[in-house]
Amino acid sequence: MQSWRRRKSLWLALSASWLLLVLLGGFSLLRLALPPRPRPGAPQGWPRWLDAELLQSFSQAGELPEDAASPQAPHGGSCNWGACFDTSKCRGDGLKVFVYPASGPISETHHRILASIEGSRFHTFSPAGACLLLLLSLDAQTGECSSMPLQWNRGRNHLVLRLHPAPCPKTFQLGQAMVAEASPTVDSFRPGFDVALPFLPEAHPLRGGAPGQLQQHSPQPGIALLALEEERGGWRTADTGSSACPWDARCEQDPGPGQTQHGETLPNATFCLISGHRPEAASRFLQALQVLAALQEMSPARVLALRQQTQFLWDAYFSSVEKVIHTTLEVIQDRIFGTSAHPSLLWNSPPGALLALSTFSTSPQDFPFYHLQQGSRPEGRFSALIWVGPPGQPPLKLIQAVAGSQHCAQILVLWSNERPLPSSWPETAMPLTVIDGRRKVSDRFFPYSTIRTDAILSLDARSSLSTSEVDFAFVVWQSFPERMVGFLTSSHFWDEAHGGWGYTAERTNEFSMVLTTAAFYHRYYHTLFTHSLPKALRTLADEAPTCVDVLMNFLVAAVTKLPPIKVPYGKQRQEAAPLASGGPGPRPKPQAPAPDCVNQIAAAFGHMPLLSSRLRLDPVLFKDPVSVQRKKYRSLEKP
Amino acid sequence: MCASVKYNIRGPALIPRMKTKHRIYYITLFSIVLLGLIATGMFQFWPHSIESSNDWNVEKRSVRDVPVVRLPADSPIPERGDLSCRMHTCFDVYRCGFNPKNKIKVYIYALKKYVDDFGVPVSNTISREYNELLTAISDSDYYTDDINRACLFVPSIDVLNQNTLRIKETAQALAQLSRWDRGTNHLLFNMLPGGPPDYNTALDVPRDRALLAGGGFSTWTYRQGYDVSIPVYSPLSAEVDLPEKGPGPRRYFLISSQVGLHPEYREDLEALQVKHGESVLVLDKCTNLSEGGLSIRKRCHKHQVFDYPQVLQEATFCVVLRGARLGQAMLSDVLQAGCVPVVIADSYILPFSEVLDWKRASVVVPEEKMSDVYSILQSIPQRQIEEMQRQLFMEPARRESWLAANHQINSLIWPREQWDSQIINDRIYPYAAISYEEWNDPPAVKWGSVSNPLFLPLIPPQSQGFTAIVLTYDRVESLFRVITEVSKVPSLSKLLVVWNNQNKNPPEDSLWPKIRVPLKVVRTAENKLSNRFFPYDEIETEAVLAIDDDIIMLTSDELQFGYEVWREFPDRLVGYPGRLHLWDHEMNKWKYESEWTNEVSMVLTGAAFYHKYFNYLYTYKMPGDIKNWVDAHMNCEDIAMNFLVANVTGKAVIKVTPRKKFKCPECTAIDGLSLDQTHMVERSECINKFASVFGTMPLKVVEHRADPVLYKDDFPEKLKSFPNIGSL
Repeated sequence: MQSWRRRKSLWLALSASWLLLVLLGGFSLLRLALPPRPRPGAPQGWPRWLDAELLQSFSQAGELPEDAASPQAPHGGSCNWGACFDTSKCRGDGLKVFVYPASGPISETHHRILASIEGSRFHTFSPAGACLLLLLSLDAQTGECSSMPLQWNRGRNHLVLRLHPAPCPKTFQLGQAMVAEASPTVDSFRPGFDVALPFLPEAHPLRGGAPGQLQQHSPQPGIALLALEEERGGWRTADTGSSACPWDARCEQDPGPGQTQHGETLPNATFCLISGHRPEAASRFLQALQVLAALQEMSPARVLALRQQTQFLWDAYFSSVEKVIHTTLEVIQDRIFGTSAHPSLLWNSPPGALLALSTFSTSPQDFPFYHLQQGSRPEGRFSALIWVGPPGQPPLKLIQAVAGSQHCAQILVLWSNERPLPSSWPETAMPLTVIDGRRKVSDRFFPYSTIRTDAILSLDARSSLSTSEVDFAFVVWQSFPERMVGFLTSSHFWDEAHGGWGYTAERTNEFSMVLTTAAFYHRYYHTLFTHSLPKALRTLADEAPTCVDVLMNFLVAAVTKLPPIKVPYGKQRQEAAPLASGGPGPRPKPQAPAPDCVNQIAAAFGHMPLLSSRLRLDPVLFKDPVSVQRKKYRSLEKP
Repeated sequence: MCASVKYNIRGPALIPRMKTKHRIYYITLFSIVLLGLIATGMFQFWPHSIESSNDWNVEKRSVRDVPVVRLPADSPIPERGDLSCRMHTCFDVYRCGFNPKNKIKVYIYALKKYVDDFGVPVSNTISREYNELLTAISDSDYYTDDINRACLFVPSIDVLNQNTLRIKETAQALAQLSRWDRGTNHLLFNMLPGGPPDYNTALDVPRDRALLAGGGFSTWTYRQGYDVSIPVYSPLSAEVDLPEKGPGPRRYFLISSQVGLHPEYREDLEALQVKHGESVLVLDKCTNLSEGGLSIRKRCHKHQVFDYPQVLQEATFCVVLRGARLGQAMLSDVLQAGCVPVVIADSYILPFSEVLDWKRASVVVPEEKMSDVYSILQSIPQRQIEEMQRQLFMEPARRESWLAANHQINSLIWPREQWDSQIINDRIYPYAAISYEEWNDPPAVKWGSVSNPLFLPLIPPQSQGFTAIVLTYDRVESLFRVITEVSKVPSLSKLLVVWNNQNKNPPEDSLWPKIRVPLKVVRTAENKLSNRFFPYDEIETEAVLAIDDDIIMLTSDELQFGYEVWREFPDRLVGYPGRLHLWDHEMNKWKYESEWTNEVSMVLTGAAFYHKYFNYLYTYKMPGDIKNWVDAHMNCEDIAMNFLVANVTGKAVIKVTPRKKFKCPECTAIDGLSLDQTHMVERSECINKFASVFGTMPLKVVEHRADPVLYKDDFPEKLKSFPNIGSL
C-alpha cells in the first residue's frame, strides 16, 4: 500500500515535471519551428523583394521625352495670372495704376484713400497708359455701390479693392478682374491671382498708424501664455499651470483654470488663440489647452522670433489703410516684374518690401539693411556730394579736405545757383564731376547715376570739415550703414503750449536729427526720397528749403526706426560758421526752419517717426589724458 | 524547477527500496526531465539574440508571390477628388497625436495584386520607382507598422503613371483598403497624370479626400496647402553623374533640348536662334543614329550630335517648356546640370513650391512672352544669375525629393518647432530643418551671415529699468560698497547678488545696505563662473547689468548713461572696460590686448549691460565645450560672452565712457590682475580656444566709444544730463 502510495507520489512528481517541461520548452520549440513573428515595437518594414532588380520603371524610357505636345493651355473654371492679366501694358519702371474717380458724393474716407493713391508713386492719370485699373469699392456704410466702369473690358487688368465686406449686390460680373478683399472663401479665392487682405475695422487709420505695442523683445516673466478669444469680445487666459491635454485623448477637463477678462482690450499674453469658426466656447477652451501643450514646448528663441516678426509685419504692412493698399499694389507689381520682383528676404525682414524698392535693386546686399543676413560688408569708399547754392563760391578748401580722406572715391559738385559754372576746379587726385542742377532743393537727394559708391557724404559748399573728421565719421558709418551719421544736430520736441511739434537746433543733451549739410548716409536714401515720398512732400521741401533736412531725417527714421548718429565736430568752427540761411547751407546762427515744417511733415507721415538719442560716438581715446601720439584722429583733439 | 528540487531532496530515501528495473527506468526518465529543463532554460535566452539580427524582420519574397485580391465589378468607387479639401476640412489631425514630440507616423499597406472578375490585372503590381519610394519611407523614422498609430496611410497601389492603370478598377482597389474612410489621411504619389487627348493635370483616379503628391499640377487642380507638388522623376538623372560646375559664364546663353515640342514652340525657339546666333542652341532628337537605345542620351542640332544631359552644363539658361503635361522630367535633368531653368508653362505649380523659393533658382516666363525670352533673360544682372546657379546646387536630388515631400506634409500638420534639432543633424534627412532659410539657403550663403535673435529695431522704454547682478565670493566689504553705489542709479529696478561661496553663508539680512529697490541673494550649488550668466527667474527686466564686486569707481551718471546707451543698442554688449584681440604674426595666433588702443573688440562683463536673452544663450546654447572649459579654468567667462553675442548678432560691442580705472583711484594704468603676465597668456589662450570652437573669429573691431552728446563740449556743466563722467 505504502509502495503504491509512494509510487503514486513519484508519478505525480514526474508528471508535474513533464508538464513543466512541455509548458516551458514547448513554446521555445514552437518558436524555432515556425517563422518568427515580429514583436510589436520592432517595425516590420516594407519587404525587400527578391526580384526588385527586375521591376519595371513606371514609365518606359522612350515615353518621357516623346510626350505628344498640344500647345493648348489647360483650362479651368476661373482666372489665373497667365490667362487673365495682360502684362504688355506694364513696361517701363514700375506699376502704373489708374483709379476710377468716384461717381457722385463719396465719404471722407473714400476721398482720402483716393488722394493717397493719387499722391503715390503708382498713380497715373491716363487709363490708356495704366497697367492696372483700380476700382475702389469701400463705402460700406453709405450703401454706395459702384456701377460698371467705362474701361471695364470684362475686367481685364482690373483690381477691385474691397476694404470692408461688401454689402453691395454684385451689380456686374467680376469676370477677369482681380479681387482684393478680407477673408475670401476658399472656393472663390484664386491663389496667385486674387489678393487676401486683412480685415480692417472702420476706424483704421489712413496712414502712419499706431506703432506696434511691443515694448520689449522677450515676453515678461509671469504673464499668461495663452489667451483665448471668447464670444462676446472678452478673453480667457490660460497659463502654463493649466493642465494640458495629451494629444491623443481629447481633453475631458473642466474648463476651470484661467480667468476671464472682459472688454475690448487685448489681453496681456504671449499667444492669442483666434478661431475662425464659432463652435461652443467650452470645446474651444479645450482646444486651447491642446494648443497650450504645443506652445509650452516652444523654445524661448522661437517665441522671441515670433514676437518680433508679428510687430514687424504689423508695422510694415498692416497698420494703416495706405499700407494695406500699397502692399496690394506691390504684390501685383511683383507678379508683373517676375525675375526682378522682391526676393523673399526683402518681404520678410525689416524694413519690408514697401520700403525696399525692387526698382532700386533685387540684390539684398545693395541695400543698407541686409548686410548682416548676407554676411556682406558695406563698401570701403564714399562719394562726396557738394551742393553749391547761392552765392556760388566754389568750395575749394572743402574739396581739399574731403579729397584728403583715404576713403574718398569721387567728388561730385552739384551746381545749383544762377552763376555760370566756373571753368577751372582745383587739382585733386580725386575724380571730380560737376552736375548742373535744376536749382531745386530736392535735387540734392536725386539718385544721380554718377554716384558710384554706396556711401554718400552730403555737404554744403560752406560746410567746413577736417580730413580726420571725415575719416572717423566714415568708419563709424560702416558700422551703421542704414543710419545717417552726422556732425551737427537738431531736435524735435512736443510743444505743450502750442499743441504741436517744435524744432530746435540749439545744443541740448539729446538730438533726433542730423543736418544733411554734413552727413554720411547710404545712396539708397536718394532713391527712396525721390521715388517713394509723396509728391506733396517733395514740393514742400522745394518751397521751404529749410525743410529738406527735416524731411530726409523723417524718411530715414521711418525706415530704420532708429535715431541718427552724431560724431564729434570741431568746436570752434561750430560756434563760428556753420548753419544755413535761406537755403540748405550754413546759417549765421542756428535757426529753426519754417516753423510748421515738422508739423506738416509729421501730418503727411501720419505719425512722428523721429527718435532721440543721448549719445555721441567718439574715437576710443577721444580727449583722454594720454599722449596725442597714441591717438589715431589727432586733429579731433584740438580744443 | 521547484518540482525537481523537491524530488531531489526526497530521492535518497526512496531509491534504495526500488527494484533495479524501476531504478534504471526512473533515472533515465529523470535525466530526460533534467535535460528538458536545461534546454528550456537556454531557449528562454537564445531566441532574443536570434531575433535581434537585422535580417530577421525583413521578408524576402518575390513580388509575384503577393496575395491576389479579386475586385467584383460592383465594388464601391470613391467620390472624385474633392477640390475644396484643405487640411482643416479633409484631414484628421487627431490621428497624428500619438507621438507629438516626434514625427508623424506613416503606415504602408501590404502589397497585393488586384484583378477584376475575369482575373485580368488592374495595373502593374509595382514599379521600380514606387518600390524604392516605399522602401525609403519604410527605412525612415516616419514609418510605423502599427496601423492604429499611423497618421498617414500610403497605399501600395502604384499610381505613379496613370497610363499604366485602369482608372475605375484602381479606384475600387483604393476604396477597399482597410482604413480608407473616404481617403482621409491617405497619400497617393503620382508623376504622370492625365492621358490623351486632354491630359488632365491631376490624377484622374477618383480618390475622394486622399492627399495627392503629384507631378504636373496646375493652378486649377492644385489644392493649396493640401496637395504637394513633386518633381517628375527623370531616369537619366539617376543614371548619369554630372561633375559639379560652379557659378559663372557658360558657353551657351540659352539651350532648348526638349524633343517632341509642339511645332509652334519649336518655330519660336528657332527664330530666337536665328536672331541671336551662337548663344542660343535649339536641339532636337537625332534621326540619323543607328542605335535606337542610346537615342535618349543624344541630342542633335542639324548634323552636330551632343551628349545629353551633359550638354545642359554648357548653358546658363535651359528652357523647360510645357509638353502635353505640365510637369517635365527634364526639369530634374536641368537642375542636376546646374543650368538655370526657364520655365515656360503657364499655371504650372513648381515642385515643392510651398517651401522652395523658386524665384531664387529659376525664371518663369509666360507662354505668350516666349518670343521675348532672350531679352527678358538678358535683363537679369550677372550677379543674380550667379546667385541662382548657387541655389541650384542644393535643389533636392531625386531620393531626397521624395523624402522632402513627406517632410512637407509633416510640416503642414505640425507646428514647425516640434521638429527639434535632433532631426536637423540627422544625416538621412537633410530637409528636416525647415525654416525658410534652411529650405532655401545653400551652405555657402550661411557662411559669415547671421540671423540676429533681436532683429526688430526697438528702443525699450526707459521705465523698464535694469537688474544689476553682482557675482561675489567673500569680499563683503567691497560688495556692500558696490551695492550702495549701484543703488544710486535711477533706472535700477532690482539687485541680485549671486553668492558663489558654498563654504560660507551670506551676511545676515540686517547687515546688508538698505537700498530703495528689492535686493535678492541667490546661493549657488557650485563655485562656477557661469553662475553669473544663469537666466534666473528673478530677472524681470530685459536689461541686465553684470558687475563685479570690486568695481567701485563707476559713478551713478556713468551707469545711468550706460543703461541709456544699451536702450539704443539692446542687441549688443554695452560695457565699460574695453579690450582688443590682435593677430600675432610671429606666433601665428590670436593675442589678448589690454593696452589703451584706438580700437576695441570686447567689453568685459565685470561692468556691462546686455539683454537677458544672452543669459539663456550662454547657459543653454554655448557651442562646444566652452562652458565647461570656462568653469574648469575659472577664467574667460567674459570673453566667452563676447564671442557668443558677436557670433549670433554679427555686431560689435559698444564701449561706454572714457573710464579705464574701475577698482581703485591709486592703481596704475591697468588694474591689478591685468598686469600679471600669466594672466595675459591665459586670456590669449582663451581667445584662440574659442575661435577654434566657433570655427571663426566673430569679434568685430571698432574705433568708437559712446559718450554723452555734450561730453567735453564747452557747455555749462550744470546743464549737462551726465556731468559726472570720469576721464579715467
